[in-house]
Amino acid sequence: MKYRTFLTTLALFLFTFNLGIVIISITTFKDTIRRAQERSLDEHYFITSALLQDFHAVEGRGTDIDSSIPSLLQPYNYLAGDQNVTLVLFKDKELVYSNSSVLSVPNGFLELPGDASRLVSIQESGDRASVLVSGKLPAPYDLYTMVYLYDMTDGIAAWEQMKNMLFFAGLIVSVLFAFGLHILLSKLFRPLSQISQTSRQIAAGAYDTRLPVSGQDELTEMAQSFNNMAKEIQNQIQQLATAAQQKQQFIDNFAHELRTPLTTIYGYAEYIQKVARTEEDKLFATTYIMSESRRLQNIAYRLLDLATLRENKLEQSDVRMEQLMLGVKQALSIMAAEKEVQITWEYRMDTLHCDPDLIHILLVNLIDNSLKACSAGGHIKVVAELENDHKVITIEDNGKGMSAEHLVHITEAFYRVDPSRARNGGGAGLGLTLCKQIADCHGAELHFLSEPGKGTTAKLIFPATRTIR
Amino acid sequence: MATILIVEDEIPINELIKRNLQAVGHRCISVIDGKSALDEMDKHEVDLVVLDIMLPEIDGYEVFRQIRGTPTIFLTAKGSLTDKVKGLTLGADDYLVKPFEMLELLARVDAVLRRSKKTNKTFELDGVRIDFESRQLFLHNHPVDFTPKEFDLLEVLVNNRNIALSREKLLELAWGYDYVGDTRTVDVHIQKLRKKLEMESRIKTVYKMGYRLEV
Repeated sequence: MKYRTFLTTLALFLFTFNLGIVIISITTFKDTIRRAQERSLDEHYFITSALLQDFHAVEGRGTDIDSSIPSLLQPYNYLAGDQNVTLVLFKDKELVYSNSSVLSVPNGFLELPGDASRLVSIQESGDRASVLVSGKLPAPYDLYTMVYLYDMTDGIAAWEQMKNMLFFAGLIVSVLFAFGLHILLSKLFRPLSQISQTSRQIAAGAYDTRLPVSGQDELTEMAQSFNNMAKEIQNQIQQLATAAQQKQQFIDNFAHELRTPLTTIYGYAEYIQKVARTEEDKLFATTYIMSESRRLQNIAYRLLDLATLRENKLEQSDVRMEQLMLGVKQALSIMAAEKEVQITWEYRMDTLHCDPDLIHILLVNLIDNSLKACSAGGHIKVVAELENDHKVITIEDNGKGMSAEHLVHITEAFYRVDPSRARNGGGAGLGLTLCKQIADCHGAELHFLSEPGKGTTAKLIFPATRTIR
Repeated sequence: MATILIVEDEIPINELIKRNLQAVGHRCISVIDGKSALDEMDKHEVDLVVLDIMLPEIDGYEVFRQIRGTPTIFLTAKGSLTDKVKGLTLGADDYLVKPFEMLELLARVDAVLRRSKKTNKTFELDGVRIDFESRQLFLHNHPVDFTPKEFDLLEVLVNNRNIALSREKLLELAWGYDYVGDTRTVDVHIQKLRKKLEMESRIKTVYKMGYRLEV
């Protein structure tokens, strides 16, 4: 593009510029000739008319015209002072006077019509060019033919010099122009080449490459939007990478979740088949087979829950808080008693617009997690209140807590804070994933705050308005 | 008979490995985390460690670094190549990915013990004495004649005692993968062993399964 513009502009310029020079040259040339001709005609006329008067005077004195011609014409030799003018006088095609030895007059110039018209022509002989004017003197001296030769070689040489100068200057100007044009175009096109280079880099994977932005013109604007685009692409790629990583993590975890119970089930079945000899051995093995099958079943149900949650519509209604809390309390009381953990319930709002079954599952899951984190004598506080027009349910425990690096991942499927992934009571590792999804369905936000050794706080913030997705 | 430390946090799997290893005559110590594994290593002389990689607090790799020297078989659900390579480059003797077959674990345990010369050189049961090193058989201190395949078969049965082995498995283990023959060959050899070593009550036929040397 840059070179095309460069070549096109340069060619156009050269063409116009040289055409101009050529036109100027031609005009000047024509002008030179025209002026030479005019001058020749003028002088021819002047000399002719002067000569005519002289002839009259000579004739009046009764002197022979022919013999006095040289003296008559002598004064006009000043015209030939610059060696450019030649005067020749013929009498009936006989040369009677010439002030120059060099002479050649074409024959046709002496055979002029008798009506005082004159012939003008350009004559070239060798490297010299002349304007030739010939005309008969008026009657009664029409036997005489006056030929005026004006040598314009010098004029043409001057013109030629000027022409050469013009072309030489033109050449220099062209080179300067080409150079300047190149610099200008490079400057104009630099942003474009920068953009193409940057986009190549971005395409090659360097998503953090940006264009330098400076100034206040259209290009700056473009650079800014280009940078915005690059940023957007980077974000998108980042999101895709994160999503892909999460998916991979999910699959890895899922494979592990399946692998462990399957290993157990297969192993104990093999044990019954090949090793067990007593009823006791067999019973022992079947117990494990059944509990591990149950675990697989749990995972399957939870995954199904997640899948149906994704598709089904919520059945929302205004639920009385006492009712909701009571259900959760009942579901957890036995476990809380077993773990010797005290749970306190507080609610400072009457109703909650939600799907009661799902919120029940969510709360049970969250409190269940808190219970698992707490040791005997622990305390869990469940508070439902209004906070800046938002209905908020907070579940606070004083259990073992977790570090920030875990906190980011806890809602991912199968993520376990404990790297050993030790299962407490056959958890499927999907509880918080389900919670997150239920919260999302309600348009609510689910936040976790935790500090190792101090406890964890789960905060469920419902949207301010009742327009819930 | 060797002392084997089982480090596995999944209690059912831990129990399963223990039961199987005990069945073939090993002494087993079960622990469910890395810290107690290191404690047990200090207290007992352990011939082999079956080590899960994902353990609470101290992971398997770290445990392995600290017990360097004791033959170790890594046991894990991580099946990717890089994990295997990492385990083996650390110097593990073997690497087993869940889910695995118990016979495979037993075979690998056996192989590792044999490499570290911790396998039994002799085995005695009732009046039978087997010398694995010199490949000799004695019944009530009298040498017994046998074919090489009979001895191979007996060795497989002894190494996997108390575990039922199918005829196919026996063929594979005693004759080798490439043996093309009828499983009836196994029956014939079993009959001969029973007769020669008076082991009719020891080498049991397991219904629809195969044979088991019960000890």
